[in-house]
Amino acid sequence: MSKPLKPRFRSVWVFHVDASACNGCDIEVLDVLTPFYDVERFGVKLVPTPRQADALLVSGSVNRQVVIGLKRVYEAMPPKPRIVAAIGACAIAGGIFYDSLAVYGGVDKILPVHIYIPGCPPRPEAILFGLGQLLGLVNQKIAPRTIYATMGVRDRVYGVLSNERLYKDLRYYLTRYVGYYDREYILEDMLKIINSAKTLAELREKIIDRASKIRDPRLREVYSIAGGFIVEKIREEIRTVQTKR
Amino acid sequence: MSMRKYFEKTDKWVVTFRYPLEPLEPPKELRGKPEIDPDLCIGCGACAQACPPNAITVHTDYDEGLKKVRIFYGRCIYCGRCWEVCPEGAIKLTNFFEMATPNKEDLVYEVVLPLHRCPRCGNYLEFTERQVHRAYTLLTRLPEERRKELLERMFLCRDCRRQVFSLEEFKNRRRDKYVQASQTPF
Repeated sequence: MSKPLKPRFRSVWVFHVDASACNGCDIEVLDVLTPFYDVERFGVKLVPTPRQADALLVSGSVNRQVVIGLKRVYEAMPPKPRIVAAIGACAIAGGIFYDSLAVYGGVDKILPVHIYIPGCPPRPEAILFGLGQLLGLVNQKIAPRTIYATMGVRDRVYGVLSNERLYKDLRYYLTRYVGYYDREYILEDMLKIINSAKTLAELREKIIDRASKIRDPRLREVYSIAGGFIVEKIREEIRTVQTKR
Repeated sequence: MSMRKYFEKTDKWVVTFRYPLEPLEPPKELRGKPEIDPDLCIGCGACAQACPPNAITVHTDYDEGLKKVRIFYGRCIYCGRCWEVCPEGAIKLTNFFEMATPNKEDLVYEVVLPLHRCPRCGNYLEFTERQVHRAYTLLTRLPEERRKELLERMFLCRDCRRQVFSLEEFKNRRRDKYVQASQTPF
């Protein structure tokens, strides 16, 4: 992390505006004010009226009903800093409501925005990072990127699972048991086992062997179930190939 | 010892975590900024189809022969559908979340891929080179005669294909066993 900058603002009093949000972002803003995340140590304080506020925290895709109120809130603020922070995907570019005709899609179409905080909803840490950047405590980390892909192609190697359908079947089967995150490393491990085996009997032995070494009973169950599934699938595949010939 | 000195000495009672002042290691399973692996992406646009808020868009430039897969993080809702749907496993959600920025343009990520060129007429097609290569690898499962037939036409554009293969030839091929069998998509 780069060296913190000198603070630009001493204490920013904020007013929170819900511009037709789903309340996800609002709850995260509330989280930021709790003692655990505690923005008040940077002088950021939530105030009950825009007349006392230096900054607006706007969340939600701005719909047609709320525009008048949003403009009035902005005009009610004291004229000097008038900072606007757009929180969440909806406030930046409309989020999933971007093509709805009831919605303006983005705070920046109504008011000048000083900081965009992406996320759906953004984590409390992300909001802290955004506000810290506004105050001048941290530096910006993201930059636009364009990557020119080279002409060559890197082929994926499935090994024994040369039939891609088998690979995907195993992937979705694992998703059903362990979800999206854990699936990835289990799949990688299982592919290694499958590629190292030469016959079906050997594959079965190896999977049982691997499963017996795992301590976690849930993971062991998944290995044995998914192993049985893939052995059955490979056997079917072999049978169909033989009948074709 | 006074209460105040006790609090000053111990960190035990400090609940607040010092995040923006100290770096933070986010959890591994956090769904953050999605990124495309430029070595694996074939530019099929499956992610753009699946993306609920259209944060991922595909732009085709026929003059320069480029296909641009663009992600706009401002609109991304981190649902992970692009990850789920990608046939190559090229797009993945990283656990990076510190994306706050004063400029909207900073939130754009782009991968540029070369388009396939018809070897007969020299026009660019709507597919990338990698997509055609991918189709070629799928052909390995077909019987060889059928594969040879397809290989003749595979790299041509639509118009050239029509010129090269006349209608009569097409009718003759319909009677062929293989063509009847391949009515079902492989």
